[in-house]
Amino acid sequence: MSAAILSVRDLTVKAHLDDETRILLDAVSLDLAKGEILGLVGESGSGKSLFCRSLVRLLPSSRLKIEAGSVLLEGQDLTAISDAEMLNIRGGEIGMIFQNPSSHLDPVMRIGDQIAEGIRYHQGLDGKSARRAATEILSQVGFPDPICQYQSYPHEFSGGMRQRAMIAVALSCNPKILIADEPTTALDVTIQAQILQLLMELRDRRGLSIILITHDLGIVAQTCDRIAIMRGGKLLEEGPKRQILSRPRDPYTIKLIHSHPSMPDAEPVAEVAVAAAPVKPILEIDDLHVRFRVGGSLFRGSAVKTVSAVSGISLQIMPGETVGIVGESGSGKSTLARAVLGLTPLTSGHISFEGADLALQRQASLKKLRREAAMVFQDPFNALNPRMTIGQTIGEVLLVQGKIAKADIPQRIDELLDLVGLDREFASRKPRSMSGGQCQRAGIARALAVDPKLIIADECVAALDVTIQAQIIDLFRELAARMNLTLLFIAHDLAIVRNLCARTIVMYRGEVVEDGPSEQVFSRPSHSYTASLVAAIPDINPDKSLFSDARRVPQSIPSIKSMP
Amino acid sequence: MSARAVSLSHAGWRTFLGKRTMLVAGASILLFFILMAVFAPLIAPYDPILQDGSARLQAPSLPHPFGTDNFGRDILSRIIWGARIDLQIAFIGVVFPFVIGTIVGTVAGFFGGIVDAVFMRIVDIILAFPFLVLMLSIITILGPGLSSFYIAMALVGWVSYARLIRAQILVLKNNDYAVAAVSLGFGRMRIMFRHLLPNAIAGSIVFSMSDAVLVLLSGAAVSYLGLGVQPPVAEWGVMVAEGQSFITTAWWITLFPGLSIVCLAFGFSILGDALGELLGVHE
Repeated sequence: MSAAILSVRDLTVKAHLDDETRILLDAVSLDLAKGEILGLVGESGSGKSLFCRSLVRLLPSSRLKIEAGSVLLEGQDLTAISDAEMLNIRGGEIGMIFQNPSSHLDPVMRIGDQIAEGIRYHQGLDGKSARRAATEILSQVGFPDPICQYQSYPHEFSGGMRQRAMIAVALSCNPKILIADEPTTALDVTIQAQILQLLMELRDRRGLSIILITHDLGIVAQTCDRIAIMRGGKLLEEGPKRQILSRPRDPYTIKLIHSHPSMPDAEPVAEVAVAAAPVKPILEIDDLHVRFRVGGSLFRGSAVKTVSAVSGISLQIMPGETVGIVGESGSGKSTLARAVLGLTPLTSGHISFEGADLALQRQASLKKLRREAAMVFQDPFNALNPRMTIGQTIGEVLLVQGKIAKADIPQRIDELLDLVGLDREFASRKPRSMSGGQCQRAGIARALAVDPKLIIADECVAALDVTIQAQIIDLFRELAARMNLTLLFIAHDLAIVRNLCARTIVMYRGEVVEDGPSEQVFSRPSHSYTASLVAAIPDINPDKSLFSDARRVPQSIPSIKSMP
Repeated sequence: MSARAVSLSHAGWRTFLGKRTMLVAGASILLFFILMAVFAPLIAPYDPILQDGSARLQAPSLPHPFGTDNFGRDILSRIIWGARIDLQIAFIGVVFPFVIGTIVGTVAGFFGGIVDAVFMRIVDIILAFPFLVLMLSIITILGPGLSSFYIAMALVGWVSYARLIRAQILVLKNNDYAVAAVSLGFGRMRIMFRHLLPNAIAGSIVFSMSDAVLVLLSGAAVSYLGLGVQPPVAEWGVMVAEGQSFITTAWWITLFPGLSIVCLAFGFSILGDALGELLGVHE
């Protein structure tokens, strides 16, 4: 291994709160070699982001202090230098990119100018040559028309292009080290694969060293040279990728590897419960169209355009089925869910829930739906009223639905909490004092309080850590089996759907392109779009390369974002 | 505009003093004035409207710590009694606009469309006139007096609350928990007043404290112009007005009631700021 460009020794960060001092980083030591990609893995709260921020002394609060340790960047101790010198290090030596590119790009500044700004400041070039350099960087990070796109604003780009722009901004100062904090978490799988590939190309071309922070071991397996596992502010394990993945020592690492959904030995999907028995479908969708109006105004009524979110979907869902709906963001899967629950008006077509037609008898069907279908939302914190305790939230549903006597409500709340694996004392807690996983369990308990036949879960694990994701998936599997629920599970994470659902529906541009048993959809996809989605899943086995030509994402499929 | 100035001016104070210190300080100032108002008959050394020809325009001294006015009335006693009127003005002048504005804002934000458009155009119309001009014209039509002032306040003051609440509701109603409430079959009233309003109201509560300052000052201004509290009743604004002709010879007549207004306003203001911290409005 070449000499370390960055060497961190016993870095300790403490938080000085009003009444206590908490250790957030506990003597973390790491080395980063030139041209190396280091994967920093851990759940939220493990200190992985804090670690990277303390390298450039960008601590999120003045109450946090670096107490001990050293950060040696090519022999210079970054913990000892002055703030003025630090300005040159940030950006100039160490560049950073973040999870959410939209909030880290200036919305009122042209993309190109944001890149040129760093070049002028750090490299001292004049306006014209900075502009040329910025254009060059734009083309390096994969903008097809850099000269023209130099003039564009962040909102004109898709998430993936914005992330490319973020990388371009970070590269503008020609850093030696790039810290990428969950750079692909907010992106679709196919875009994620492209961004990861870009990072690896940049490493090869520029000899960049990269610290890649992620919670997805699949990404690490595909891109990194070495892996470091963090938990609770401590570095648990560190070593070459293959060694960690094949012979993990720490029990937490083992758990992390086993909860990764792409594991090939994942138990076979629950056998198709609904046999050929001639049952009536619980949900029937027939040629459904949902269009939204965009643009147009009071004075230019004729300029109103419509965007089709769902165009011509026909589906039948049988009682007791577990159906996964996958697709990129913008493919219309959430709109479909909302339309089914009567939260979005239908443009044309029919949805009938147990024979009640939402298009023809809207009021009656809505009444039926509200009493027999429930939804679980993506963001567990946002889905619960922050001012109400979990007991109040669940109790209110029971009260309004009126399916059980008022006196029995407290007992039913306890039962529901047991069912979703929450302690009964959570009835008196508010969402603020709970973790994401606990909130999501409470959200599921609220859905179950309706005593529904159909549950629609919209990306309900996307915001959770991997090990928590696995727990929630297990909970859904158990509930569906025990209560004979029909589950419509919407996700962009194909591995999860493959794990949980017996049947998979693939949506693309508002249409269903594939529908069939999960095993078949994933192993023998019949539509090229499905094939590209499946190929873009980062596998935890480093030998199944995401970037080999055989699995290369076909470029012929246009992204949803580029549609007219 | 002045509400903004108030909140800016003590943004510096907030960092200067701690969060809890601010809350205690604001509440103490307010409590001090409330106690003063409640126990006015017990603590005021003189009758506030009793004229004493032998003790006219006396400078502050031991028997008259704040001096006397041109009718020989004790300024300290008048300030103590005036606290009753001024607190009442601040309270009633805030409560009615607050309630009206909250309801209008919630309904407009929640239903949107034509309901929203109608209410918001009414708001625009009211905002098109300068605040004080509108106040004065309404009071002139209704006839001078405190009750006219309250009515004018209720008619004009609700617009800020309505706009504040409406903006919050517009954001909150797209939150997942609001959508969840719809999908669970909750009624509109329940969603509006149990799920959305409690989460939207914190900002208005904080604003109401700054608003109390404005109401207090406009109450004083209206009284100063002779349209509010009528003499000889002791009210700080009236006292400032009465003292102005003697400002060069008897500065105390104007200074002490003026200082009282400032102190009470300051109390409301820092209490509002501390409440904002407490309710998480600034986050």
